[in-house]
Amino acid sequence: MPPRPPRPRPVDPPTEVIPRIEDHYDDDYYDDDDDYDEEEKDAPPSDSLARKAVRGVGEALITLGLVVLLFVVYEVYVTDLLSAGKQEDATAALDSEWSSNVVTPPPADPNRQSKLNLIEGKAFAKMYIPVFGNDWKFSVVEGTTDKHLEIGPGHYKDTAQPGEPGNFSIAGHRVGKGAPFNDLDLLRSCDAVVVQTQTQWFVYRVLPMSSEVAGWASNPKSKEAACAGVAPLSTTLGDAYAKTVGQEIVLPTKGEVIAPVPHQVNGTVPPEKQARLLTLTTCHPRFSDKQRLIVHAIETKSYPVADGFAPPEMTEG
Amino acid sequence: MYGWIWRHLPGPLFLRVIEAVVLVAGIVALLMFVVFPWAEPKLPFNNVTTE
Repeated sequence: MPPRPPRPRPVDPPTEVIPRIEDHYDDDYYDDDDDYDEEEKDAPPSDSLARKAVRGVGEALITLGLVVLLFVVYEVYVTDLLSAGKQEDATAALDSEWSSNVVTPPPADPNRQSKLNLIEGKAFAKMYIPVFGNDWKFSVVEGTTDKHLEIGPGHYKDTAQPGEPGNFSIAGHRVGKGAPFNDLDLLRSCDAVVVQTQTQWFVYRVLPMSSEVAGWASNPKSKEAACAGVAPLSTTLGDAYAKTVGQEIVLPTKGEVIAPVPHQVNGTVPPEKQARLLTLTTCHPRFSDKQRLIVHAIETKSYPVADGFAPPEMTEG
Repeated sequence: MYGWIWRHLPGPLFLRVIEAVVLVAGIVALLMFVVFPWAEPKLPFNNVTTE
């Protein structure tokens, strides 16, 4: 097929010449009107008071926004750095104290333990949560003020000491300041929390959650080795402990969660019949202090401290 | 504000840039080490203890 002849192109209409419109505006005409100056003149506009005020407010708002962003950086990252140094110092002080003074080994009878001498702001124990990884370790200091908690997890004054009957209670930050308790909500029943003092290791295990209390005996989890010695306290210790479960979320005013028998302020349980509990508290939800996240655990084992010995629980997780 | 500061920094351009950086660093340090530590306990973010 022979190529088609090109179609004739439509004839362009002759270009219409638009006559140039004479610019008859007088440049000086708008001089005292700022709004029109901007694009038409090279010289910067003279700043009226209103313009200055609007710009000032805008710059102030931008500055405030930057300050707020900077505060977030401070809260989430910088406090971690500051606290890391303090935690290191506290740990170093604790290590040198432990290595310098020789102590008599703990008595064989677990009910007769020597009391630790707790000084506010000083570390007295080390804490490990193996399921968070073997780099999760903190020195626990005495006291729970802001200053103490910057160093690390803090022991509520007047609550039990490690391994004592009653409630060994620790508070820790969830965000910033080293965030020791950031992942506390991830602890499951039977997870180990190991506490080391100068003379002893104590292994605490998280109690069954409230959803697991009913039917714990038939739950296959209760047969696991990690759950030896862990059972809902209401079944082993009676109704006084009915509200003590692995995890609870409470209002900040609920100080009774760290009572010797949690939720029992006017204790009717004599000290020698009290369970050896560990309670951890932190803020909830993350980045807020509306509520508190509480984790209860019970002591299942203890070992004397010996050179080169670490409890087998430390390798869990 | 920023324009006013810039106009009042003395010296040639490169010196003014250095001055501005020093000024910003100083203000950030002031916030990080003085203002924020003071303000933080007053804000409702990080209370972890029960009463």
